[in-house]
Amino acid sequence: MDPAALIPTPDAIPVHWGWFQLFLSLTFFLHILLMNVMVGTAFIALVSHVRDDSASFSCTETISRTLPFTIAFTVNFGVAPLLFAQVLYGHLMYASSILMAVFWLSIVGLLFGTYSLAYVYTYRYAQLGNRRFLVIGLITMLLLAIAFIFVNNLTLMQEPTHWSRYFDQPQGRLLNLADPMLLPRYLHFMVSAVAVGGLAIALFFYWQGDKNAPAAQHWIASGCRWFSYATLVNFAIGLWFLTALPKGLLTASNTTSQLLLLSLGSGILFALAAVVFGGARRVIPALSCTLATIALMIAARSLLRTALLAPWFSVAQLPLTPAYPPLFFFLFFLTAGLALIVWMVRFTLRSRRDREVRP
Amino acid sequence: MNYPVWQLDTFGGGLLVILIAVFHVYISHFAVGGGLFLVLAERKAHRENNPDLLAYVRRHTRFFLLITMVAGSMSGVGIWFIISLLNPAATSILIHTFVFAWAAEWVFFLIEIVALFLYYYSFGQMDHRRHQLIGWIYFGAAWMSLFLINGIIGFMLTPGDWLRDASFWSGFFNPSFWPSLFFRTFFALIIAGLFGLVTATWIKDAELRTATIRFCARWLLIPFIFFIASAAWYRAALPADLQEVIFTRMPSMRLFIDGFFLFSPILVLGGLFLAIRLPAALGKSLAILLLLIGQLYMGCFEFIREGGRRPYIIRDYMYSTSILKSDADHLQSTGLLPTAKWVRHREITEANTLDAGRELYNLLCLSCHAVGGPMRDIKRLAASYSPSGLDAMLSGIDIFHPAMPPFTGTAGERKALALYIASGLNGKSDPLPVQLVQKTVEIQKFDPETAQFVLLAWSPLGMQYVAEVKGLLSLLPPGNALRAQLIQRGETPEIVNQGVSLRYRVENGLSGDNGKSALTGTMMPDEDLFKAEGIPLRPVSKQGFDPYPVVTVEARDAHDTLLATTQVVAPVSTEMGCSNCHGGSLHPAAPVGLQRETAMNILQAHDRLSHTKLVATAQSGQAIRCQSCHADPIYQAKGDKDRLNLSAAMHGFHANYLRDRGADACFFCHPASRTGATRALRDIHDAAGLDCTNCHGAIEDHALNLLQHEQLAGKKQAAMLMAHLRPKAAANIEKIAPRKPWINQPDCLHCHVEYQPPETDTTANTWTKDEQDLYRNRTDESGRLFCAACHSSPHALYPADNPYNPHLDVLQPLQYQRDRLPLGANRNCAVCHTVAMTDEMHHPHTLRAFRNE
Repeated sequence: MDPAALIPTPDAIPVHWGWFQLFLSLTFFLHILLMNVMVGTAFIALVSHVRDDSASFSCTETISRTLPFTIAFTVNFGVAPLLFAQVLYGHLMYASSILMAVFWLSIVGLLFGTYSLAYVYTYRYAQLGNRRFLVIGLITMLLLAIAFIFVNNLTLMQEPTHWSRYFDQPQGRLLNLADPMLLPRYLHFMVSAVAVGGLAIALFFYWQGDKNAPAAQHWIASGCRWFSYATLVNFAIGLWFLTALPKGLLTASNTTSQLLLLSLGSGILFALAAVVFGGARRVIPALSCTLATIALMIAARSLLRTALLAPWFSVAQLPLTPAYPPLFFFLFFLTAGLALIVWMVRFTLRSRRDREVRP
Repeated sequence: MNYPVWQLDTFGGGLLVILIAVFHVYISHFAVGGGLFLVLAERKAHRENNPDLLAYVRRHTRFFLLITMVAGSMSGVGIWFIISLLNPAATSILIHTFVFAWAAEWVFFLIEIVALFLYYYSFGQMDHRRHQLIGWIYFGAAWMSLFLINGIIGFMLTPGDWLRDASFWSGFFNPSFWPSLFFRTFFALIIAGLFGLVTATWIKDAELRTATIRFCARWLLIPFIFFIASAAWYRAALPADLQEVIFTRMPSMRLFIDGFFLFSPILVLGGLFLAIRLPAALGKSLAILLLLIGQLYMGCFEFIREGGRRPYIIRDYMYSTSILKSDADHLQSTGLLPTAKWVRHREITEANTLDAGRELYNLLCLSCHAVGGPMRDIKRLAASYSPSGLDAMLSGIDIFHPAMPPFTGTAGERKALALYIASGLNGKSDPLPVQLVQKTVEIQKFDPETAQFVLLAWSPLGMQYVAEVKGLLSLLPPGNALRAQLIQRGETPEIVNQGVSLRYRVENGLSGDNGKSALTGTMMPDEDLFKAEGIPLRPVSKQGFDPYPVVTVEARDAHDTLLATTQVVAPVSTEMGCSNCHGGSLHPAAPVGLQRETAMNILQAHDRLSHTKLVATAQSGQAIRCQSCHADPIYQAKGDKDRLNLSAAMHGFHANYLRDRGADACFFCHPASRTGATRALRDIHDAAGLDCTNCHGAIEDHALNLLQHEQLAGKKQAAMLMAHLRPKAAANIEKIAPRKPWINQPDCLHCHVEYQPPETDTTANTWTKDEQDLYRNRTDESGRLFCAACHSSPHALYPADNPYNPHLDVLQPLQYQRDRLPLGANRNCAVCHTVAMTDEMHHPHTLRAFRNE
């Protein structure tokens, strides 16, 4: 069956696709950062419990307190890119989602379980004793499962040639396991999470309280070690990912692949710099380079998607039925909303300080 | 059509979206109302300088945070996932139209999360007025997210001007936007009260518990009157036709509408009751119960809103099947299977009919009907249908069932779908061709040299249909009629109507309606005719089904000397195809006929569609006679003058399901199918290749003629039944000639002008002026000899070929002429006149060779 015949007809967009690409990239960047912190810290907490539970208390206990927040914000910042992705690629995403409907829908249950367990982890941290690793272990596994399902869907979405498997399995139980890019892509994201989780731990202890205290120093070093080693491993996985790409994709013969090579190349360079800074325990420079790496890798990912979809679809093809006023209203709410959030946080912090000063 | 279908069986019909959505909506409304609750509760605590109450508010905040953050937001994501899995086409339209409304809603979600975290984690750590400000910001953001989603949801039910101008603003600020916003806001406050009652009843200190419960009860009770007022406003804002559909024409809505009205006072009373000082355990239980009732209450509203939108997902724009309303017409000609993208079987063949049927089911039915699951299980709903019956049902289902879309595919696709459901899922099949057991019959003797009399007998109707379940339902009661004329032979024959008595005797083995065999009786004289009426025959003999019992008629004089004897068939059949759609299994002993189960199903359908109480009446022991409400001239039933007559009602209703089927439409109910057990159309016209529709018109016309008369008589119901019938015999409805059943019928002379060979082969839309002109009541030019005496019954005109024995319907021609032709055909006047005749007396053109030997 000709894959092109299966591709659903997309609906018209209300503003130029560039806007959606911009919103998608920005919000996805934030989502990935938060997701990395969420999965990475959970994993590191698990390993810490298993390795030396009592010694890692100050780190794991902190993670238990922050995990509900990181989950909440990861999910919230997942909503926005999913929305914009559906505007640009919805016709492809719905198809791939339906092909793996059972797995895709199970994410809701898995997420519910994860979030609930996170509150158990934090509220029962003390009572759980040395069984904590079970709870955080379960959380980690659920998160890894959720990520695996996401990667399956988003890779399947990019490969209409695999879609005709639907006719033998219409009950929504397909995965994209046969794709050689699946495993390296998945691991690349997960190992990156470990790295960023480590970096987040290092930053936390760097920023809060006295960064020169021995305990803080210990955790800064530990976080940096997680960061550096994981990033080194990720170089290897990245290489694996590169070799798994379809032949002829990285030929620099058109703008897309040129930009892809450029962002990939510069991303790798920043990652190298990040590892060096991480090794030297220079947390802030490591952070800057990491942010740059992630931003460039997200750009590369988007360009890879464009290249893979090129035979079938390009966002420039989307019909445009202009309706700009709602965009302006959204921009207004976005700006005002962000300003309100910043103000609220400051207001609260200030009010708490004032309360402390006044008996 | 554009997308693959997630093939579900048990979980089909939208079960997953219901489970996720009804739960989420409850929690999310709590997330809005609860925000205001927290702030006002905190303010009260500070005003009263009540640290215990404040501690309660803090605990309730944690409860609120956990529930709304975990259950609320996860189930919200859940709705999003499930709607794109179950209806990606509609989801895509919503996303592409309202992306910036959703994006704005996301901004408010972010504000909510930050505000709620700040509110909870800084509880007691800052000046309370500042703390409350954070709470107010939370509530404002939550209410704004309600504002934004409200527009999108309302759009699906009342898209308003968006249908014309495709404008974001018309779609968002749609006709039900404002009433729905108020409705949901007050609902949110009530739900906040319900959740509050749960945590309040858990307070250990009795004083605080009572005071807090009373505070929460006010949240439940005070908004209620405004809530009900907004509900009324919401209803009034719906288009008039939508209101009618939801509140009168969808029986399935009754449960939820009643539920809404039942739960309203229960919640109010529950709240009042809780406000009394109750023992702690009782209070807790009652609060939990009210919380659960609240969830059901929300469920009732959601079912009404979503169910009332059927068959659309976006009203007047896109059906729940993801097919655009504007595409429905052309899909009926081009077909759905060739057009849809994710289809394996583009063409239906013998080998793939069931598989193609499943694909059609996925595309057209699965969105609302589960296969073996709780949501409108198709196996249960289609249980009474044969494949042909279901095909008929599907062809007209949207006419009387407002929740159903029109079938958007070709007739062949509809057949395949019907076969999949009725046969593939339910194992039912169409009636098989019946093997007829031949009857034997002996021809009576007649000696043309010596015989003095010719006795002619016939049934005025070609077939007496009986459709009755004793004590339950009588549509067509038994009661055959018989007519006879006794002719004294001679050059000038005489019709004998005095000094003789005629008796009839039904053949042995045929049981009457009273179960007794060997029905006999006397025929009463009526001018030139002898009549017997109301002979209670049923087509059951010792051999089984026999629709052509033979009757022997004897004429005797005053001294009881036998003057003449002859035989004739008294045709009677119970073969009516009701069970094709109305179910009921057939006994081997009674292979045709109305079964008890079928009759009950018919009464249930009648109650549902016509708002009657026939089932209750029947169950109380009183049998239902259709003619008691529906006039029927053949039974001299006057009926109810405001209702349609029986024929108009029956044909008018059922024609909507049997359009474009030619004579097959007739065979669905009437016993004329050529593979059936009766095969009632058995005469010269049938042999010449004509069928029911040549004389009676296609069922559309047949129904329209009857309904036209009823409409002209001022009966409003006729219009609704006529609306979807397209006339075939006339250019438009205005040209349809009205007719009364049994009185205005096809006139032979319309085709056989001047008794000549026919000039046309259809009498459709032309009728006898009145009863006198009916074939069965007509006489020859002498005014005394009935046409049927020589030509036999309608549908069995000589030469007729009876399926049970070729002689059965030509007994008198064989007896008197040794041929199968009308009496006196081929210049055989000597049958009665004893000599040849030169004058054409009976009717023009009798003296010639019979054309159709």
